[in-house]
Amino acid sequence: MADTIKLQVITPTKLVVDEEVEEVVAPGELGEFGVLVGHIPLITTIVPGELKYKKDGVDRSIIITGGVADVRDDKVNVLTDNVLTPDKVDTEASRKEAEAILEELKDFGGDEKEFKEIEKRLRLAQIKAGIRQV
Amino acid sequence: MPSLKQIRTKVSSVKGTRRIMSAMKLISAVKLQRAQNLLLSYRPYSDAYEGIAKSLATRCDPEWHPLLKRPEESKKLHLVFMTSDRGLCGSFNSNIIRKIDTFLVTDAKKYELVKLSFLGRRGRDHFARREFQVSNSFIGITEKNITSIAKEISTEVTEEFIKGEVDEVMLVYNYFKSAISHVITFKKLLPLEQEETDEENTPIDYLYEPNRKDVLDYVLPKYLEVSMERAIFESATSEQAARMTAMENATRNADEVLRKLTLLFNKTRQAQITRELMDIVNGTEALRKGGSE
Repeated sequence: MADTIKLQVITPTKLVVDEEVEEVVAPGELGEFGVLVGHIPLITTIVPGELKYKKDGVDRSIIITGGVADVRDDKVNVLTDNVLTPDKVDTEASRKEAEAILEELKDFGGDEKEFKEIEKRLRLAQIKAGIRQV
Repeated sequence: MPSLKQIRTKVSSVKGTRRIMSAMKLISAVKLQRAQNLLLSYRPYSDAYEGIAKSLATRCDPEWHPLLKRPEESKKLHLVFMTSDRGLCGSFNSNIIRKIDTFLVTDAKKYELVKLSFLGRRGRDHFARREFQVSNSFIGITEKNITSIAKEISTEVTEEFIKGEVDEVMLVYNYFKSAISHVITFKKLLPLEQEETDEENTPIDYLYEPNRKDVLDYVLPKYLEVSMERAIFESATSEQAARMTAMENATRNADEVLRKLTLLFNKTRQAQITRELMDIVNGTEALRKGGSE
């Protein structure tokens, strides 16, 4: 068995990360989960948040906007719609967006599925605005 | 023999055409570059989705999700194929149309029903007057609406497949290999393809988070959309490449025609000069003879 896992973070426009790493921690829908070598096959939806990985003993991280992760045969494929780079984010606009979503939630009457969608959007906006610690 | 004036008119018209061709070549070269960048960055994403879908199809029970089902017999086929909206791109459209024509009279005979969907005006126009069930056609695909079109058409085929109106969905498009080569590809979209497995290597089922249904509900439709979008990208890129090649050939051809016309022009002019000279010489000769007597 190899002692590293192959991590790929892919968006529709870019192969963001393609590296051999020792450990991956990703924001799964049911909370963060860690992947080490020899993990059993796992497939999970990903919510907006921070994806952390360790390469050569150094911790690194990127912010992803949600999607799906596929873990099998010591390979982790993270398919996400987008990757955020901090300097390109408009914090002020995101803060307003987060407030607007909270306002929208006050008189929310939809079903659980819609609620989940809105929650995801809120999470993303809050992360962008720096309100929520990732 | 055409007159000098006729040749001159022809030369200037060929020059005009040549100028248009070479401008179109430059434009499609730029468009190709752009399309190629988009396509090449999209490929890993869609390949990864395909990997996941395949592995799910292998590991999951067909009962678990309507999109995983495998019809026992494949009787109803939905063919989605991609041509370009505009011409002047060499044999790009005619090749794929011919291939489909052949497919329809050979392999397609085993299906009871064949439905066609078109992306791009050329294919639609070709099949417009034939007796096929046309389910949908899209024209005017641009970079901006590509995602929504891909979504619309994949939702449509998904619904048909789930309802059992079709048993098989196939995409036909030009796969972009390089700027000078594109390959017509038939890709089976549904039912989902499986990974090759053997006795020793039985795959272990996944752990699903948050639960199996949510994951399948998210991944499978998304995979179909992504594949559709990928096919449109492939086709659009191939189209630009084909146009560039066609325009390059046309420019070269125009150069050749111009060369021949110039030669003809010079010959004609020379002939005229010679004729005039002969007239003059004859005239003076006659005069001199007349004067000496």
